[in-house]
Amino acid sequence: MSTIVRRGTRVQEGQIRFHYDGREYFGQPGDTAASALLAQGVRHFGRSVKYRRLRGVMAAGSEEPNALLTVGTRPAVIPNVPAPRLTLHEGLVLRSQNRWPTLSVDLASLLQIGGGFFGAGFYYKTFMWPNWRTYEPIIRRLAGLGEAPGACELPPVAVENCSCDVLVAGAGAAGLAAARAAARAGATVVLCEREPVCGGELEFEGGTIEGRESLNWVAATLTELAGLGARVLTDTDLVGGSDGQVVLHRQRGGIAGADTLYRVRPRSVVIATGAVERPIAFIDNDRPGVMLLGAAECYLARYGVRVGREAVLFANHDRVYAAAARLAAGGMQVRAIVDTRSASTGVGNSLRAELERTGTQCLSGHAVIAVEGGREVRAVRVAPLAGSGPERRIVCNVLLQSGGWSPNTQSGAQDGGAREYSPGLAAFVAAEQPLWRAFAGTANGRLELCDVLADGQIAGEHAARQAGCATGAGAGAVTAIDARGDGAPRLVAFWRSPSPPQLEKKQFIDLQNDVTVADLRTALAEGFSDIEHVKRYTTLGIGTEQGATSAVLGAAILAELKGVPPGAVGISRPRAPFAPVTMQSLAGLRVGSAFRISRRTPLHAWHAAHGGVLESSGLWLRPRYYLANGPDAFTAGIAEARRVRATGGIVDGSTLGKIEVAGPDAAVFLDSMYLSKASTIKAGRGKYMVNLREDGMVLDDGLVLRLAPDRFVATTSSGHADHMLSHFEHYRDTQWNGRAVTLTDVTEAWAVIAVAGPQSRATLQRVLGSAWHEILTRLEHMGFADGHFQGRDLRVLRASFSGELAFELHCRPGIAVTLWQTLNDAGLGPYGLEALDILRVEKGYLVSSELNGETTPHDLLMDGLVKLGNPCLGRELLDRPGLHKPARPRLVGVRARDGRSKFLAGAQLCTENERTHPVGYVTSAVFSPTLDQWIGLALLARRLGEDTQLLARDPLRGGDTPLRIVPAVHFDPTGERMKQ
Amino acid sequence: MSRLHCPFCGPRELREFRFHKTLPTEPGTAFAGIYERIDNPELSVEHWQHVEGCRGWLRVTRNPSSGAVLETRLLGGGVA
Ligand SMILES: [Zn+2]
Repeated sequence: MSTIVRRGTRVQEGQIRFHYDGREYFGQPGDTAASALLAQGVRHFGRSVKYRRLRGVMAAGSEEPNALLTVGTRPAVIPNVPAPRLTLHEGLVLRSQNRWPTLSVDLASLLQIGGGFFGAGFYYKTFMWPNWRTYEPIIRRLAGLGEAPGACELPPVAVENCSCDVLVAGAGAAGLAAARAAARAGATVVLCEREPVCGGELEFEGGTIEGRESLNWVAATLTELAGLGARVLTDTDLVGGSDGQVVLHRQRGGIAGADTLYRVRPRSVVIATGAVERPIAFIDNDRPGVMLLGAAECYLARYGVRVGREAVLFANHDRVYAAAARLAAGGMQVRAIVDTRSASTGVGNSLRAELERTGTQCLSGHAVIAVEGGREVRAVRVAPLAGSGPERRIVCNVLLQSGGWSPNTQSGAQDGGAREYSPGLAAFVAAEQPLWRAFAGTANGRLELCDVLADGQIAGEHAARQAGCATGAGAGAVTAIDARGDGAPRLVAFWRSPSPPQLEKKQFIDLQNDVTVADLRTALAEGFSDIEHVKRYTTLGIGTEQGATSAVLGAAILAELKGVPPGAVGISRPRAPFAPVTMQSLAGLRVGSAFRISRRTPLHAWHAAHGGVLESSGLWLRPRYYLANGPDAFTAGIAEARRVRATGGIVDGSTLGKIEVAGPDAAVFLDSMYLSKASTIKAGRGKYMVNLREDGMVLDDGLVLRLAPDRFVATTSSGHADHMLSHFEHYRDTQWNGRAVTLTDVTEAWAVIAVAGPQSRATLQRVLGSAWHEILTRLEHMGFADGHFQGRDLRVLRASFSGELAFELHCRPGIAVTLWQTLNDAGLGPYGLEALDILRVEKGYLVSSELNGETTPHDLLMDGLVKLGNPCLGRELLDRPGLHKPARPRLVGVRARDGRSKFLAGAQLCTENERTHPVGYVTSAVFSPTLDQWIGLALLARRLGEDTQLLARDPLRGGDTPLRIVPAVHFDPTGERMKQ
Repeated sequence: MSRLHCPFCGPRELREFRFHKTLPTEPGTAFAGIYERIDNPELSVEHWQHVEGCRGWLRVTRNPSSGAVLETRLLGGGVA
């Protein structure tokens, strides 16, 4: 337990208890997991993903490549949370990743000792015999970052949609100046900052702005912004943005209910996301204790944490001297500053003499070439870059490096925005941007404080003007901001230290994916030369940090290896998210039962109360069978189907789609949409109709009822009404434009109860009342009549989907339960989808298994409908010769040759002679209680004769079943039962 | 492209719309219209229905490379 109270801009006095890898630790309010653990001497935060090398913290922000922790306890875990981004709270449980069984002793890391390194393409090349699948399960266990959450209930993440005139991303110096300028011009402003507090580098850089100390300027600016109504979101990442929408993610890892996903619609955007400090590649530059210089400054200023006792600083610019002075003032011993620039460049820095006086060795024209120490830094080896000087060994326990800064331009480049290399910066900056988006400050390549502020202010003014707010008070009053900061860095590009070729495999570029200089060399040697190819072959920059620290370094070293100037190979296109986002946040509130809507029929409650076992059918919930009829679908389905054929039954058909088609041109409109004509239907009658897609394939089938000369109801398959309505509307508004037709989805206006079986008419005559008695006797097949039941609308249609005498009752939803209960009480028991399927397969009726979008009317034995010659939609392409070849399928019935064996839908059909080349497949198969055997429908190549001996091959489920071909209508082929 | 401007409903989220390719307009052009379409990466003419709004069918002209919507018109009245 820590006894010294640390002081910093972010930590307060107090104590927070948390657990890391099973041990108890303490932090102060405001600490992150990284700062609290570093303060207590923890150096190891995980192992690397490929080589399992021990890794520590390198950075102080979300660019952290290695210190990724798993938050929470199984199964409710959040993996890959960067330790520097994880604000502590009481009781937090954290685990390191990529190690087994413990961080200290990891078995997989022995691979590294035994077998050397896996270079780029190692997996592709090594695990090829006999095939990749042999090795995949083992490799998968060792591979990957972190652990996915198990099945558990995580609190849903709130999603907020909002809009504003100007969105400013990043609340450092530039972002604050931009937000202030935009707000002063009258714009509504949203300012987001990924850190818990605003200020960016002003937090530790010192300096003055507009006559105030910079931290006071930050506070004053925030106060002014609040007064102007600007909204400031801290802990909020810019996830990505394109086409006028920007996604922000507020995350406080591990605190339930604290996350929010914002979808912002700004009129214009200022991206002031700063820059990421870049590492330098040298031998063993991944050891715990090798950190970014700016990160060390952050930990000291924000949390009062000294990341090491004795530091060596390694950089290629002037800023290292100011940083060294601040670290020394904070109590760290700076043993040496290794400056890669030749002596003449760095001379003149007044800080240097002062540092040397207090014991810091300043080496110009030198580079750190290697780190000593396996579990943490013990010393560094330094050598002159030119000429032959002595190699030195400098003892230290932390190496702080800075190879320059890479502007965070990712969020502007995800939509294809170009970036160009800036030699003065040795990094890429955003090139030409759309008018609504501007980069500002360090993100725009500005490094000096007054430039950063001015750039932010100009960008803010511009954004407000773009948003149409230039008329507000203060518009146009761009005043120079007076500021004093660290001064020009005078950076000279330096990417990697010299190394013998055999040790380039220890010069790490991407620490998260273990990509080294040797990997880039391998990729080039093997012909991967484009940066995008190299990225995918080596995995450079693909992890949670999306190349934040590695993309520019990798591109520059690739250029060096190719012998071209840095920037000549370009930089890979970044992809959202810029910072890791949990899938839970993307799902938002659409989890669990809210994942998608489910539709319930008016009879839903009855089914549920009477043992109906419900099943999803599209969005609809429908009873598959009723428990009263059997313990499982198979048994109950057979019992229900048998009862329909013996006496009768009722089934809920409310899901049937119904589209009312009305208007003077209704008949002619339907004629053009269906294979047969609707205009020949008499009022009071219906007709089975089929419609086609543009390419001639069957789209849907259903009954079309003519209510009046200018009024029809077209029924569609369950769940198709929405699509069919769109389809009709599309054609009405384009092809058949000008036809006077209205289209209305009346699916939910009518509940449908289908009554089937020999006793259906008699039962209906008993329960519907005397007014219906005569009508029911008289009603012919496909005839319907409108009337009333208990004073409410009732339409009775004589139509059958079971092959039995049957009626469809279309009634208002409000009386559906009463009508259903009445029928049930009169002896017609309910049946479900399972029985429905048995009955329709027995009769060779079609459902989506046969109407599968790949079948023509000819395939489905509807030649008669085509011969009618109605020039409807899709008719033109039916004549394509390819649709009439002998290899085209045709609907047939199939049964087991032995009359007993089972076969299932999906089984491939082969002939006895050609057992490896399917000639068709089984589309539907049921056990028919009526025929006492398994029967099916199949699509089979036309060329095969009716006596072909078939084999249903189903190797994964049931092996082979010999089949014979029978007519598609298995039962009552002449339809006698329907005609009763 | 993440929003479309519906002539009736104004700018609305893309998820309220349903995409459809354009339809062949002249008799005898169905085959070409379905199977011989040549995509232009800079210019795409599409039909979108405001299915979760007014249900109007729109003719949208856009640049798939840049994501820019160039024109949105209501289908019907001779527009195809
Ligand atoms: Zn609309």
